[in-house]
Amino acid sequence: MTDVRRERRDVSRVRTIRAVALGAALALVVAACGSGRGSSDRTANPTTPSGSTGTAPIIDASQCDSSTLTQGVTGDTIKIGTSLPLSGTYSPFSAILHGESAYFSYINSLGGVTVAGKKYKIQLVSKDDAYDASKTSTNVDTLINSDKVFSLFNVVGTKNNLGVRETVNSDCVPDLLIASGAVQWGNTKYPWMLGSELVPYPLEMRVFVDYLLKNKPNAKIALLHANDDFGQSYQLTLEALVKGTSLSIVKEASYNAEGSEVKAQVTDLAASKADTFVLGGTLLACPNALTAAHDAGWKPLIYMSGTCVSKLLFTLAGDGADGVISVTPLLDPADPTNEAKPAMQLYKQQVKKYFPAEDLLDGIVGYGWSTAAMLQKILEASPKLDRVSVMETARTLKGISNAGLQLESSTFDTNKTDWFLGETFQLIKYDKAAGHTAAIGPISNLDGKTAELSPQALLHS
Amino acid sequence: MNLDRVHVTRLVLALVLVVGAAYLFGWYIPQFKESATTYLWAEAFYIGVAAMGLNLLTGYNGQVSIGHGAFFGLGMYTTAILMQSHNWPFVATLPVAAALSFAVGVLVGFPALRVKGLYLALVTLGLAVLFPQLTSRFVPHDLCRTCGTSQVGELPRIKLRPPSWTPTFIKFNDQWAYYAALAIAVIAIVGVALIVRSRFGRALIAVRDHEAAAETVGINIARVKVIAFATSALYAGTAGSCFVLVKRLATASSASTFQISIELLVAVVVGGTATVLGPFIGGVLVVFSDRYISESFPKTLLFWHINDSVKNLLSPAIFGIGLILLMYVLPDGIVGGGRRIATVAIRRLRGRRTSPAPT
Repeated sequence: MTDVRRERRDVSRVRTIRAVALGAALALVVAACGSGRGSSDRTANPTTPSGSTGTAPIIDASQCDSSTLTQGVTGDTIKIGTSLPLSGTYSPFSAILHGESAYFSYINSLGGVTVAGKKYKIQLVSKDDAYDASKTSTNVDTLINSDKVFSLFNVVGTKNNLGVRETVNSDCVPDLLIASGAVQWGNTKYPWMLGSELVPYPLEMRVFVDYLLKNKPNAKIALLHANDDFGQSYQLTLEALVKGTSLSIVKEASYNAEGSEVKAQVTDLAASKADTFVLGGTLLACPNALTAAHDAGWKPLIYMSGTCVSKLLFTLAGDGADGVISVTPLLDPADPTNEAKPAMQLYKQQVKKYFPAEDLLDGIVGYGWSTAAMLQKILEASPKLDRVSVMETARTLKGISNAGLQLESSTFDTNKTDWFLGETFQLIKYDKAAGHTAAIGPISNLDGKTAELSPQALLHS
Repeated sequence: MNLDRVHVTRLVLALVLVVGAAYLFGWYIPQFKESATTYLWAEAFYIGVAAMGLNLLTGYNGQVSIGHGAFFGLGMYTTAILMQSHNWPFVATLPVAAALSFAVGVLVGFPALRVKGLYLALVTLGLAVLFPQLTSRFVPHDLCRTCGTSQVGELPRIKLRPPSWTPTFIKFNDQWAYYAALAIAVIAIVGVALIVRSRFGRALIAVRDHEAAAETVGINIARVKVIAFATSALYAGTAGSCFVLVKRLATASSASTFQISIELLVAVVVGGTATVLGPFIGGVLVVFSDRYISESFPKTLLFWHINDSVKNLLSPAIFGIGLILLMYVLPDGIVGGGRRIATVAIRRLRGRRTSPAPT
């Protein structure tokens, strides 16, 4: 009750208090926005820049603000930006950043990348989004408008990139080498997005179904998938591919993509007596599911998402990982037969130099390294250094090979109808005793096939 | 002591501050800063608004909620769905989001009558856990077929343009988001100021301080508590609507819903419980510290090379240590503590000036 009296007494002090509060707010503001800046990013001035190729360009630049087309290029530096989970459940993905940074440091030490006859150093600005799409959206705003990057690079996550696709489209910012194998990067309404060399998820299902038809034509499949778009890519493609064949899906289960708890689902699937297990999950859900299957005494033929191909995750799965089949577009750093290859030696030497604490044998690091190399290839293939030319180049790539740890005889192409990179890849099998993966059969080349193999509902959404 | 002089000084001081703040927030930031900054301020405003709402409940009425992220999310999804698939303009979605949040607040407020303190905190925590599950179950798929089941995909820019009735100085999407959030913040501040000075506000405080005594003077405790819950839900829901203008999408995961709930609570405590402006300032601080702690790290510290992984390890730690220190120095928050310090300072000054000789 004394509070009421105190409240009344407060009234006499209100002016002082208000002044103090406002003063504090004011001080905060002055501190927060010390550097005044113009609003150059707001000058709307749509023009028609000349297309970079002779034929009709894929990128329609008529809506682009011509004054920002070379934003991020200053002197001999190209500034690029990325957003990825560096904290939270998905923080193991931060190893990607180390691979990328090592590559850019290496290439900068040689003078940089050569675009249209001039050398440029690459400056990578990274931001943490903890895999939260709304944080990615803020990060991308900041990268484009405040850090003023030239392009986005290897932003991690499907929904994270879907959350900025309107932005990159209307700002005409290349969203290059997205770290996701989702098929939505083939949606022609959003030409400013290009997926990285990760194998498009439907293609994984295509080669595995082919493998089954050849080796195990009466397979009874149990499917575990994440309950998001990523998991759905596997589910919808697998269902479509199995239809009308001798294969059958006997049970499906999904798990909450926010976590990695899959034990109950796997126990359920094990009870179905399926002899084949398709695991459309990522990161920790993979070793968890493999361990759960092993613990349940279930010994099916297992296919695991290519996003889980990592020494760390295989090791976590222990005995459960033995004999697991997957795909990779890259050389496995843990495989000793790759040791002598020059690409592998360069990778190990440079990553060790810049990130001595990083596990060189982990495929996630190798992915970052290779994706950075791929960015170099794209930039160097561009006739001019502006956003429209670079994006147009990324859409019309010819024979990209030997980028980082790219498989030796593989090439990546893109064109007007083929919007995907990682369509040449290797089916692999994990050998627990040896501690690395080994190739099964020859390299699969499904170049230009992603669009037709994808569930159309996903592709055009 | 010359009363008139003191009054005039105060008036001039207040006037200068108000005009300065009006210029700064009303003109300088939205007109001269780039969009990343205006968006950040808009975010600070809506988090501040939600924190003020939570303060009505926690600070003034003594009910602790760690589930306000759910009401925030409710407003967010309402606005996003109406804008995305029904082509509503933003402003039209506001009353719907507010009314819906208020209604759900009433529904949740009733069971909350039965539980108090720690138990209520747990019940509301359940809300924060439940909400993302509901969205992943019931948010229609066609909003973003590809985003999984719980996200509303990025709204096209055209839907986020300033409406035609806005004055010409609101030209760009970020300015529209900023001014909308600012207007909502101003209304929210005035709203809280009016509420706490009203009969209902005094009832809130009375119920917090002594329920039995409040009942004896004729306060309907159940009604006060439920309305307090619903009003604070309305604030959180309206703030969630603003989120859509700034972030251009709606998304909820257990992590993010829980995080917003906790951030709001931190904002209330840091700013000062049971003060009008405190939680708002706390909200602004939370947003800016989240952004700037990790970005203001030096590359090297003495002999220590600070790379990204060190940064990500250190920034939450620094935030935590800052929080502990702040609570140690200013246990009643920035505004509460500032008020205390100001009072002591003024008393000292006055005392020195007019100190009567000891008799």
